[in-house]
Amino acid sequence: MSEFQGGSDGVPGGADDEIPGHIAADFYLWTWFASEVGRGQVDVPDQSPFTWWVDDRLSFRSAGEDKVNAVLTGDNPSTTPEARAALAGGKVLRDVRLALRRDDREYAVTLRGSGIQIAGAKLPALVKTGDPAEIIYERMFLYEELNWMVGAMFRRFAEERTSPEWSSFADRMRAWAGGRAADEV
Amino acid sequence: MGALKGTISARRYQVMGELPAGFQDEYIAKLNDNAFRDALTAAHKEERLGWVQVHNLLDTDFDDLNMWLYQQYAVFQMRVDKKVLPAKLFQATFQKRQQTWCKANNREKVPFSVKQELRETLELEMLAMTLPRVTTAEVVWNTAEGWVLFHSHAEAQNDRFRKLFHRTFGFILKPVTPFDYLSDLPDTAARLMSGGTTDLRAVPE
Repeated sequence: MSEFQGGSDGVPGGADDEIPGHIAADFYLWTWFASEVGRGQVDVPDQSPFTWWVDDRLSFRSAGEDKVNAVLTGDNPSTTPEARAALAGGKVLRDVRLALRRDDREYAVTLRGSGIQIAGAKLPALVKTGDPAEIIYERMFLYEELNWMVGAMFRRFAEERTSPEWSSFADRMRAWAGGRAADEV
Repeated sequence: MGALKGTISARRYQVMGELPAGFQDEYIAKLNDNAFRDALTAAHKEERLGWVQVHNLLDTDFDDLNMWLYQQYAVFQMRVDKKVLPAKLFQATFQKRQQTWCKANNREKVPFSVKQELRETLELEMLAMTLPRVTTAEVVWNTAEGWVLFHSHAEAQNDRFRKLFHRTFGFILKPVTPFDYLSDLPDTAARLMSGGTTDLRAVPE
């Protein structure tokens, strides 16, 4: 028996732990559409709420492929006709860069790939210099808050994605992708 | 970078196991045992890897806890060195060496065994002149809560990291995914897995 267990590559925690690509694609789409129609907020009992919106980057892939084949960057790429045309043309999201705000703390993060990995996470700068212990402690607290927010969003998405209402939600997204304004769908 | 400054791009793992009481002293020895070591010869070509301090990749001594343990956070780096010869330059030089040998020995072709010897000699010469390609990735281990951030998303780096972590501390690392936030909603998680991508193409009338 191998010294390692749990991954097809002989390394603990290997590629077997990937989650199916369709889940990440739908999650990214949900974060985008929800923020467009003013629902980019999560309220968690006994916690202060947080809001999010698409920041400055969206990247798309064709369904069934992993390679990025279109990237939109710049100011408000999510509001451009090109972005919605990509969805209407059958492309799905591979990465999305979000901005999140909780209380007075603002974050930016790219959620990437089928594993919904956190990349390029920009944390609020509270302590910039000083004791390394203080800096690490604070940065890890902020990272944990960001991680918690992503988890809370995913939880909300999972509940909506598996509810009977998802079909009508998808119809609204389809109309929006087809060119109708977010407040009209 | 990431632990101390800059943006964070990291994969998160759950440490499968409990830390022993008073782990600090034991882990000094474990980190020192698996610290990065320079190759004994300049012509060494195999990949080398090990732990280094987060402050400077040349610092490989973990005796001072204050340099790597900050409250409950153990912070260090994985360093990987690999020497890669410039392929085109190697081939061109190898060809010249063969031509020189043929001329000196008045032969049209280089015998196989000589070719091997010329190749090995040249490889050793060039490796001795080549600096390694050095990569590092930070590790932040929350020893109180049992999770680790590894500051790289590259699969190969993560494979190396999980192996080295297991070899050093004896713990298996389990990747954390958003599904971990559905642990109390198993039915929702199962239904989510079985769905497909939502197709937003217009439905033909």
